[in-house]
Amino acid sequence: MPITHRLQSIPLCAAVLLTLSAAPPVDPMDDDAMSGSSMSSGGMASTGMRQKDPSELTQAEISFFESKIRPVLSGACFKCHSEGSRVRGGLRLDTPDAMLRGGDSGPAIVPGDADSSILIRALRHTDEDYEMPPSGKLSDAVIADFERWVAMGCPDPRARETFGANGDASKALPISAIDIAKGRDFWAYQLPVSTPLPTVAKEAWPTSTLDFYLLAGMEANGITPVKDADKGTLLRRVSFDLTGLPPTPAEVAAFLRDTSPNAYAELVDRLLASPAFGERWGRHWLDVARYAESSGKEINILYPHAWRYRDWVIDAFNKNLPYDQFIVEQLAGDLLPAHNDREFAEHWIATGYLAMGTKSHNARGRAQFTADLVDEQIDAVSQGILATTIACARCHDHKFDPIPQRDYYAVAGIFASTETRYGTLAQQQNNHPAQLIRLPDNAGLSLGGAQPAQVQRVLQGAYDRTKALVAGAPTDAEIREARMAENRGEKPKIDLQAAQRIRAAQDQLNMYEHLATRFDESGNPTNGNLLAMGVAESGRVIAVPLLERGEIDKAGAIVPRGVPEVLCAGETPELPSNASGRLELAQWIASETHPLTARVWVNRVWLHLFGKGIVKTPDNFGSSGQQPTHRELLDRMSVEFMANGWDTKALVREIVLSHSYRIDSVPDAAQAKSDPDADWYGHMLHRRLEGEAIRDAMLFAAGTLSLERPAGSFVNMVEGGTRIEQLMQFLDANTSSRSVYLPVVRDLVPQSLETFDFAESSFVTGDRAETTVPTQALYMLNDEQVMRVADAFATRLQRDAKTTDERIQRAFLLALSRKPTGAEASAARTFVKHFEQLAARAGSETTEAPAAQGNRRAAQRQGGVAQRLRERMGRAEATIPNDPELIALSAFCQALFATAEFRTID
Amino acid sequence: MQFDCCSNSETVVSRRDMLTQVGCGFGAMAFAAMLAQNSMASTILGPDGRPALVAGKTTAKAKRVIFLYMAGGPSHLDTFDYKPELANADGKNLSVGRGSGQLLASPWKFQQGGKSGLWISDLFPNVRERADDICLLRGMKTAVPAHAQASVMMHTGSFQFVRPSFGSWVLYGLGSANENLPGFITINPGNGNGGAQNYGASFLPASVQGTRVDVARNGNRGGGGGRGQATPDEPIEDLRNDRYTRSAQREQIDFVQTLNKERQRREKDSAIEGLIESYELAFRMQAEVPELIDLTNEKQSTLDMYGIGQTATDGFGRQCLLARRFAEEGVRFIEVSQGGWDTHRNLRVDLERQCGAVDRPIAALLTDLKQRGMLDDTLVIWGGEFGRTPYAQNGDGRDHNAKGFTIWMAGGGVKGGLSYGSTDATGGEAVDGVMDIHAWHATALHLMGLDHSSLTFNHAGRDFRLTDVKGRVVPEIVA
Repeated sequence: MPITHRLQSIPLCAAVLLTLSAAPPVDPMDDDAMSGSSMSSGGMASTGMRQKDPSELTQAEISFFESKIRPVLSGACFKCHSEGSRVRGGLRLDTPDAMLRGGDSGPAIVPGDADSSILIRALRHTDEDYEMPPSGKLSDAVIADFERWVAMGCPDPRARETFGANGDASKALPISAIDIAKGRDFWAYQLPVSTPLPTVAKEAWPTSTLDFYLLAGMEANGITPVKDADKGTLLRRVSFDLTGLPPTPAEVAAFLRDTSPNAYAELVDRLLASPAFGERWGRHWLDVARYAESSGKEINILYPHAWRYRDWVIDAFNKNLPYDQFIVEQLAGDLLPAHNDREFAEHWIATGYLAMGTKSHNARGRAQFTADLVDEQIDAVSQGILATTIACARCHDHKFDPIPQRDYYAVAGIFASTETRYGTLAQQQNNHPAQLIRLPDNAGLSLGGAQPAQVQRVLQGAYDRTKALVAGAPTDAEIREARMAENRGEKPKIDLQAAQRIRAAQDQLNMYEHLATRFDESGNPTNGNLLAMGVAESGRVIAVPLLERGEIDKAGAIVPRGVPEVLCAGETPELPSNASGRLELAQWIASETHPLTARVWVNRVWLHLFGKGIVKTPDNFGSSGQQPTHRELLDRMSVEFMANGWDTKALVREIVLSHSYRIDSVPDAAQAKSDPDADWYGHMLHRRLEGEAIRDAMLFAAGTLSLERPAGSFVNMVEGGTRIEQLMQFLDANTSSRSVYLPVVRDLVPQSLETFDFAESSFVTGDRAETTVPTQALYMLNDEQVMRVADAFATRLQRDAKTTDERIQRAFLLALSRKPTGAEASAARTFVKHFEQLAARAGSETTEAPAAQGNRRAAQRQGGVAQRLRERMGRAEATIPNDPELIALSAFCQALFATAEFRTID
Repeated sequence: MQFDCCSNSETVVSRRDMLTQVGCGFGAMAFAAMLAQNSMASTILGPDGRPALVAGKTTAKAKRVIFLYMAGGPSHLDTFDYKPELANADGKNLSVGRGSGQLLASPWKFQQGGKSGLWISDLFPNVRERADDICLLRGMKTAVPAHAQASVMMHTGSFQFVRPSFGSWVLYGLGSANENLPGFITINPGNGNGGAQNYGASFLPASVQGTRVDVARNGNRGGGGGRGQATPDEPIEDLRNDRYTRSAQREQIDFVQTLNKERQRREKDSAIEGLIESYELAFRMQAEVPELIDLTNEKQSTLDMYGIGQTATDGFGRQCLLARRFAEEGVRFIEVSQGGWDTHRNLRVDLERQCGAVDRPIAALLTDLKQRGMLDDTLVIWGGEFGRTPYAQNGDGRDHNAKGFTIWMAGGGVKGGLSYGSTDATGGEAVDGVMDIHAWHATALHLMGLDHSSLTFNHAGRDFRLTDVKGRVVPEIVA
């Protein structure tokens, strides 16, 4: 069983809030724009003390509340400050969340800080405007009880708000017009069955099961498969497909030389065993898992610990974790038995999957926030794993698929009974901080990356300035007093605008101080950095009510927890009454009797190898999605996949060893006319390389790509988020890594990825778009990073080979995995020679005073204004070359990067 | 309640396929626009007979949008919503739900402008002279009185979910009219409050997302510090080459194209055509965009009209003039941002400064467009994410107000000299001719010739719209 003593989590302080939107902490504009008196809900204020969850309370705490606090609240306060009352001043005291959220004057309580709690001040009659209760001051003993209660951190056993709070058990569920039994007639809801192999005329052609099905389809449609791809093309294709990297020139030479019948199979096995496999295929899953290192949406708050999930996914692919297990761990890893601390930690990290979604941290209502969080989880799981759009049934019965609204709320109950631990720190713009998961100390986990010296300097400087600003700051009480004075038309005693700035600075200071719990003075990560995002049982098992039109205040009948009925062709899970049911949900999904799970995954794997799915809408197998082009094939492969232990690598291997995968990508004349998109798989498709592969391949050609996994993520080491753009300047040390390790901050995705149709990380993305836009051309032609890599590539060529001709040969091999044709070599020679002449003639003619340009741009960057999160691909010390030969070679290398061939898998 | 959100039409999938497969973004957009002009849209959109384009050049006048976005929530009560009763009730206590305080009369006088006699305050004397071109929407309301949510709501029609922006929808529906420029340009957008989401494409094809253009200006930016690599001398990312002269780069591109054509011959890769063209477009953009944003060839009288060269108005004046130039070049949707409208205090000083910075440039923009015969087919929109409260905050300020505020539209087939809708006596809540964001979006799309209920995109199993399941066209304001 899990090592339960480690289940206790640390306070929310471990994560740090970062507002990417904000200017430095002392910028009055942003501060005023977002916070202040208009946004009275400050969430938890600055003591950093967290109000415990009901499940964490000791018996003594509970009885203190029940005997000393609750009677007074209900006797003296609820008349005006509870649901159904007049809710004076916008303040309710009848739920813990409402007290924290507060009313017009701000939070009623600040756990741990009685003096700053308006409730206490009102009871004490400190301020004229807030003398409560109005009927007369309570006894000193009662006030002392309340002071003590706040000092204890406001332990409160009352249920936290969820969107299930106002359900009505007496109401009946609405009758749905959906006929579930009839709905099950749809292909996707029936269990896949294996069919006998179809017969084909060209019996010698198929080399694997799938070839029979594809060939049968071709023959039925009068299509003859094209010839096999040549060995070089196949090598490049399978290398990119399995590892996201091109083959080395040595590998090209060896493979072309090797005439043994097993050469290709051995190559495939080698690629499958490479750590690069997990980096390539892990990223495919991260698209589906909408992985990102920030919240996105209105207030973009960093998730500094998201990277652990990223690494877990990559490792899972490299370990070839069976897909069923892969799913169960992500949905319910926290509930699985573990044999040791390491396994325990990894199981929990896997649940980061559920915590990764976009969130509106500045939303006010807790119930709405929770409902949206749960909705996001349902959407991610149902589309990502089941290719079913259950979230469509949030507001009404699903319009196309047999999923009644009640099914949505049945699933919602499971997630509503789950606590999502995404971290972040309470701040003016963050009303919804949460805990994180504290991982065991001695489980051999990475602590994350160390802060580079420059980062430390920036942080230290910011800390010192902020600290100085905060020193001598007015207290929250003084600010409130000043505000009231201003409202009365009097001149306040303190400068309110300055106070606002200080309030923001205080939040910043909290961040820096929490950062110090994760990094030591030398900038090395400590055990305090052993944190992860994920989920846990909330300790409250609740069924939620169906919400009319999905609206939070239109609660209807309570819906028992469960799963969509139409998906239960195989079995229906029994949910326990003492747990959320997440584990049972996970096991039901990852079961051989689930009609969709294996099919959806087989289809995803297929898509990444053939460029299109058997079902072309990989995230939607419903009736508004597309029908499978080869249903029997999909079913048979799914059945075999499950029988084979959900072995992803074996599935990949089977596909790439098939004859269908190995044919040429040039259609013959007939297919060019009748089937240019290869609907019948008579030829392979030309596929666009993703941004990751383009960047990796450029660095690879230049010889500057590091295949080592970097420790952690850059996002993990910067808590002072307002400085992130500035800090990005210092990324150099970390940027020769593969693209999968670049930071993925929502809305601030590195340009090298964003430009090339990177997955929108706010959604499940099973199939990235393929656009061709001029911004991509501008990037390849003008981007400083691209040029620097081209410089490095050119330098390598100068080193590797003596003559221009040799260098051209070498460059083609490194960039395109092949030798140039005669015409290409000749064009290249002419270009390089002529460009060199241009460069030699005058720097001012060809290059606009390159050095000066470079310095100007560098100076702009140092300015820190208008900075954008972008990785540094070149070496920090790289300068623009002055040697005409090098300039010409670099221009040539850059041109190779820009070619269609470099950006395509044939 | 209607549930058009889920009306499934495969037709839009085909449109998507067209947009993503025809090849080059701008080419595809131009193609789409061309089809629209030829009334062929219905055949493209499919057999269900519900083309996104409202047929007929007769109803749709607007060909492009210039959206002047006032970030922070400008006070309607001190600018475009005349409330004589508020003046009389100054200092009285107002208690409505959570919102309470002493009513604050506007410190500024209102006067009537134009033949229509629209009441506009002294903060906008120049815009007031254009009153007959303007349609005031005085019954606006929005969802949440918080900047981030309201900003994202105004720009995408949703604050709960990540959705495509208004400009992206328009570009998706109509395509670009200039293949050398992005079809959706946002000048100096703010970084906070949704940031890039406010001009993002979300699940629409990436080619319809707004292109951020950063230009030098004095004064306020649209509400934030500095995201974006683009700098004043490189207004679009990677627009300039730091190393090679234009002729040298041309040689480099020629070499790339030689290899590309060689490949095209060998591989018969159908996508390569678009790729080849994208390099040519990029090369042309490099020349065209800097020329376009260079204002030195404008007449001095034009610069003066926009207030360029005067401290207070220089920044916003440049942006407005740029907007006109982009409009002339066929950019479909242009957004200009000005932050600083969040007047919780210091109303008397700050609002005067804010309005002083934009009044003259906006009036100039309207005049300029009219003189060039462009106002009829350019929909100019002015507004912020919400308004302010009639009661005072901090003595000399106003709080956020999502329940009632004013935005205005001009040109582009909208009825000029009209005041539509109203707030209650003291301006706190919209009570008549109430328009929410969806209604406003629907009407604006209608003015562009787009039917908001048919302009859909299939994503995650259903058809999405800018107006989702809501929205209605308000015919009263359509000329």
